[in-house]
Amino acid sequence: MKTKYLKTIGIKTNQPVGRGFLFPYDVTFDSSGMIYALNRGRISQGLGTRIQIFDYDEEWYGEFGEGRVTGPLNFLIPVATAFNSKDELFVTDEGSGEVKVFNQKGLPLYQVGGGSGPWSCDLKGPSGIAFDSNDNLYITERSASRLTKIDGDGNVIFRVGEPGDGELQFNMPWGVVTDGKGYVYVADWRNDRIQKLDPDGNFVTSFGQSGNSEGQFNRPSSVAVDSQGNMYVTDWGNERVQVLNSEGRFLHVVEGQATLSKWAEQWLEVNQDEYSARRSSNLSILDLPAHLQTPYQVGSQTEHLFWGPVSAKIDAFDRLFITEHSRARIQVFDISGNSD
Amino acid sequence: MTTVRENLKVTPKYREISHLLRRAGFGATPGEMDRYIEMDYSEVVDELLNAPGTSTMPDDVIFRMFPEYHASLGVDACANWAYRMVSTDSPLEEKITLFWHGIFATGNDKLNNPLVLLNQIDTFRRNGMGRFDDILLDLSRDPAMLIWLDNQTNHKDSINENYGREILELFSMGVGNYTEDDIKECARAFTGWSVKNAEYMALMGQKDSIWPYSRISWHYEYRQNDHDDTEKTFLGEKGKFDGEDIIEIICRQESTARFISRHLYNFFVEDEVQVPSWQDVPPKNPKAIGILTDAYFEHGHDLKKVLKELFESDFFKESEYIKVKGPAEMVINVLRLSGGFEEPTLSMIQAVEEAGYMGQLLFYPPSVEGWHTGQEWITSGSVLDRVNFSSARLTDLSSPGIRDILNRIGNRCGTNAKPEYVIQNFLELMGIIEISDATFDLLMEVCDAKDSTVDTTAVSFDVTASNILRVIGASKEFHLV
Repeated sequence: MKTKYLKTIGIKTNQPVGRGFLFPYDVTFDSSGMIYALNRGRISQGLGTRIQIFDYDEEWYGEFGEGRVTGPLNFLIPVATAFNSKDELFVTDEGSGEVKVFNQKGLPLYQVGGGSGPWSCDLKGPSGIAFDSNDNLYITERSASRLTKIDGDGNVIFRVGEPGDGELQFNMPWGVVTDGKGYVYVADWRNDRIQKLDPDGNFVTSFGQSGNSEGQFNRPSSVAVDSQGNMYVTDWGNERVQVLNSEGRFLHVVEGQATLSKWAEQWLEVNQDEYSARRSSNLSILDLPAHLQTPYQVGSQTEHLFWGPVSAKIDAFDRLFITEHSRARIQVFDISGNSD
Repeated sequence: MTTVRENLKVTPKYREISHLLRRAGFGATPGEMDRYIEMDYSEVVDELLNAPGTSTMPDDVIFRMFPEYHASLGVDACANWAYRMVSTDSPLEEKITLFWHGIFATGNDKLNNPLVLLNQIDTFRRNGMGRFDDILLDLSRDPAMLIWLDNQTNHKDSINENYGREILELFSMGVGNYTEDDIKECARAFTGWSVKNAEYMALMGQKDSIWPYSRISWHYEYRQNDHDDTEKTFLGEKGKFDGEDIIEIICRQESTARFISRHLYNFFVEDEVQVPSWQDVPPKNPKAIGILTDAYFEHGHDLKKVLKELFESDFFKESEYIKVKGPAEMVINVLRLSGGFEEPTLSMIQAVEEAGYMGQLLFYPPSVEGWHTGQEWITSGSVLDRVNFSSARLTDLSSPGIRDILNRIGNRCGTNAKPEYVIQNFLELMGIIEISDATFDLLMEVCDAKDSTVDTTAVSFDVTASNILRVIGASKEFHLV
């Protein structure tokens, strides 16, 4: 079993347009394999909030959306993305309480939440989002501590959850995903666990508890599940990804091993003073002073490790994409070895 | 001056504790006063000095909402600290941190790396009431300070005096208590005190570079091969001193004890002239400085014990309303009163920026000297900003803190209250014990008691309450502490 590092995608930007990331929060893939990255941006100023489109080879194709103000192409506090089988892109927005829906080119189609008729259900802080194989939609609601299931026509099938730490109770839930059998996994963020539900919303089991040991979590933000049922949990507060098998047994930790992306290399090539200083530095720091030996501080000082791993997604080629909001990049891993 | 009458619960003890919490904290909310008034004054002092800080606004909740706080961009990092100041239940911990930030002023305009400034703030929070020797040692190893004062370019064969000069002039002894040669010897002792990857980190800071993967935080690195370990003569003593030895010598100087005592007096008791004038203008209260200086030596440079003596002294208790609230202090005071920070909101960044408009943008001191304080906080422009900010926040009657004040007014004053009584209750709940006759008369006017009494439980009272709160926020007394 192994999770093998492949490459890093991205570079930081402070520009409102163009390639590069400013607090990326999630990625998702359309049916052609194109990658859509959600840039949360600097929401206090509405800077850089947008969806960017590129491919695995880091060819950049465009972007849409912007932040702060309201409108069909605007986001306040966007959190997560998912495509349905019709290649419609759904984007949750905790700030507006909506899920906006776009086509692959970024044209707004409709929205979930607000209004009347289908797709009008009330959403309180929609955070995580996922589809099952039947195009049923799952949305976690941060402010209501619940999970809502909606069918492909926009009708609510069920809502489960309430604030708390018992079964089917949540504390600010975040990421959600379904597996091949229709089971639903919710990153029960402030309860430091993953809850597994059946397709009817019944509790099945939960994995993890608070801590930083194997199988323990500190604010897990998302979970991805491979074809074998292995789980890849972004253990956000511990600045790591944990891999568990389908029973929840700990398999291994992925800490990140970023290298220079194509975009990063291109930037450094034309900023040789920094490239030169960088080459003579050691950014793989393992000997921090005692008061800085926390996951957050280690991530902030050791560039190749995860810092702000917020989202785990698996594409059609058994590649795991870990989005790091604070390093403004995506580390990609081959997980085909975990499916043996 | 018109004093709040004794038919309210403004006992001498209440006055003392209220005063203590304005100075050692950011002013008490009515709910906090309910708790503190059940304690003896000395118990409150002990709690302020010793209670570990907890906050109702955990970092994880802030970071989830604002990843820019996690990676700390400029003013966002200030907002992160502001959440601590607003939501802490250990206000002195944050107040002493603000105190050191004003003295060991380090600016993001040069560093371009708020992460390391937040770490510096955390160091002040952790050790700001410890032994002064330890505080200076932490400061001398603080990566933000090292880069701020260019100590990464202080080499054994080519010294840079910057840190050596400032640690003596601004951080410990004050001008006039050392020679130019002492500065050079001090600088030699701090050669090799640097930052990991200092050259690259300084370059990124200089260029404000966020590439390729965001800013990288810093930590201290001692470079033995760049340290001058030969003999030095410092303040009349000879030896192969390194930075630790220099700090030990500095901390046992009378001038250091007096300098730090005067800073404590200036911040917690009474506004002094600005620091550059201290060599020419004697302290306002030499006796108080003498008491604090003695305490410094008596307690082995332990500032917590010095502070305990300060807060329990007569000169402290008798110093009500003679200081001007600093902008950050004022903003945090208003936010704590108004409440409403159960979840992170965009308004915290705006509040931090407001303090900047009033003259104190945290993390951006005007120079290594820090901010000029006292009456220099007050300009025609800053007064407008202060009044606009406090009025806007205090008259938002939907704020839970303001709602709590109005509920208390309703419970205390009822349906048939004399306007004078209503006003006195407002003042007490807002932490104001004394006001001028002119302010009192104006409050009576806005109280609008046509029938000579006021129904404080009526919905229509909201308009009157809003006017009262607006006047209080704009009053001179509200901006004194």
